[in-house]
Amino acid sequence: MTLRIHGLRRRFGAVVALDGVTLEVKPGEIVGLLGPNGAGKSTLMRAAAGLQPPDLGQVHVEDVDLWREPIAAKRRLGFASEHPSFYEELSADQYLAFLAAVRGLEPKAAAARAGELVERLGLKGRTDEPVRGFSNGMRKKLSFMAAILHRPSVLLCDEALEGFDAPAALYARETLRALASGGTAVLFSSHVTEAVERLCDRVIVLHRGRVVHTLARAEWGLEAPGLSALERAFLELIRSPAAEVPA
Amino acid sequence: MPVHTPDFSAAFAGLERALVRRRIAAVEPVLRLEIAALAAFLAAALFWRMRLRLGSIAFAHGPWAATGEAAAALGACALLGGALAGARHVMTLAPGAAGPPWLALPIPAAQVHRHLARASRLLALLAALPALSVLAAALGIVPWLAFGALAAGFCVLLDLAARLGCRAAFGIARSRAEPLAGCDAWTRVLAAAARPLSSGRLAAARWRREGALPAFLRKDLLVTRRPGPARGRLAQPLVFGALSVLVWFVPIAPGAVTTVAIGLVLLAAAGLASWIVALAASDPFPVVKALPVGVGVVWGARVAWAALGAVALAAGQAVGAGFAPPPAADAPVAGAALAAFAVAVLGANYAITLFPRADHAERILGIALAIALAASLMFYFVGWAVLLVALLHSARRLPRWPLQEEA
Repeated sequence: MTLRIHGLRRRFGAVVALDGVTLEVKPGEIVGLLGPNGAGKSTLMRAAAGLQPPDLGQVHVEDVDLWREPIAAKRRLGFASEHPSFYEELSADQYLAFLAAVRGLEPKAAAARAGELVERLGLKGRTDEPVRGFSNGMRKKLSFMAAILHRPSVLLCDEALEGFDAPAALYARETLRALASGGTAVLFSSHVTEAVERLCDRVIVLHRGRVVHTLARAEWGLEAPGLSALERAFLELIRSPAAEVPA
Repeated sequence: MPVHTPDFSAAFAGLERALVRRRIAAVEPVLRLEIAALAAFLAAALFWRMRLRLGSIAFAHGPWAATGEAAAALGACALLGGALAGARHVMTLAPGAAGPPWLALPIPAAQVHRHLARASRLLALLAALPALSVLAAALGIVPWLAFGALAAGFCVLLDLAARLGCRAAFGIARSRAEPLAGCDAWTRVLAAAARPLSSGRLAAARWRREGALPAFLRKDLLVTRRPGPARGRLAQPLVFGALSVLVWFVPIAPGAVTTVAIGLVLLAAAGLASWIVALAASDPFPVVKALPVGVGVVWGARVAWAALGAVALAAGQAVGAGFAPPPAADAPVAGAALAAFAVAVLGANYAITLFPRADHAERILGIALAIALAASLMFYFVGWAVLLVALLHSARRLPRWPLQEEA
């Protein structure tokens, strides 16, 4: 369950978005992708997800070449987008059921997993409404659910958790950890360095379309993933009985 | 800051000029040439038909009979313009319609409505194109005095029809708007237009084991059932499909019935193709491209709809001709099925090969069908040849679907 990207190159006119990017995410590893705006993070993610063909280079998902055998590779791949888009007319449930059918998932198991994700990410009671009416945070949550519904071998998160409320963000991070424990290779792009710091085992720094540095967890000092003091206080507050709002 | 009384009329006039300039600038130069060439082609085809018709009428019954025929054709053009303006105005005033939050601005609602109606009436000018062909065809055949009256009469009639169309659209919108105490009709209509489409609750999702193709077909149905572009586009094939059956019960010459029926079937097929384009446009690019499906599934689902639509239209012809009172002509079942399928598959091809640019797909489809129509007006089989060439040309790009990018 490895993601291997080799020599990825992509130009948009005179702008070189990716300039020979090579990286690998091993099974069970969560690798952060950091970089300033315009560094090429989203282009890299989209090329790795099969949305944007590179000019040069290869993407391998578990030794399957994404651009030569796209269907086989995409069966193993999950992608949570920075700007999620959906069938706006469908409900969240209908959308997830469609994805489950197209991916050939066992219906009962897929429905149960979707139900669990919906509950834990705080969308319960809203999944029979058209996605059109969803807030930005709800759309991000649905995109994240769609990306992990099939427990992918390789997961690409492009600023996917930005916009989540604190409990959902915590659950999403726990889920990513659990997926990684099960062998999923996760490439996690974000502008929020705290999230990357707490979640990732390794960080790749992208600048002007090139990998300029790789940092191991030991290099930034935090020994294990955790919560910030504010997050801890907030979670304690909203989980306390006093925070329950009567119906 | 000093405040003066605003001149709304001047402000809106400036806005409308800027909008027209901007819309013209938004059309690429190549497309402008394409549209101009297409318009010239269609105008020439219509001119040719009308010239022959008016000439033969004048020869047989005199110039005043030809004048009557030209007046009827110009009246039809004006009605078309009115219908276009009205349809556009219905969309402008529909709930969830795009546009600025008018009610948040300190502008009288009636003033806003006058601006919106003027914008809708601009569309009626499209009817001037066939009208010019008719007038050109009448030149030298109808008396000079009558020619001037025809031209002036058409201008008056077009303006009247466009105003009536917009007024009817406003009436529809007003009947749908909620009653608001102390608000005039203009405000109520604008409030209704600004209201987002209701979300409501949808039917429970069905989790079932099925292939990717049936999943796409079922999803297409769900998308079409909800308010949106896909549902809006389904009206045309349904209305023209129904008319193509009902025309068999109209007491006109059997040969004429067949011609009108096939014409209506073709209009329904064009609507079917447009619906297929809207369905493909509803596919979110990052979702579809990240799914483990190839072009075969996405294209196959749309071709399945094309086949189903073609079969339904052909069956309608068989039923219409079967139950029509005698003497009924032979139903063009095979021709209807083949033509409808070809037109709808053309829509599917453009929708897939130009994905996710539905606007481009719609435009190219329109151009291809218009060229085929104009060619058919001249020589029947040339239209078929144009359609076949367009089908083959568009199909050649299907294998490139995995490499297509979001614009």
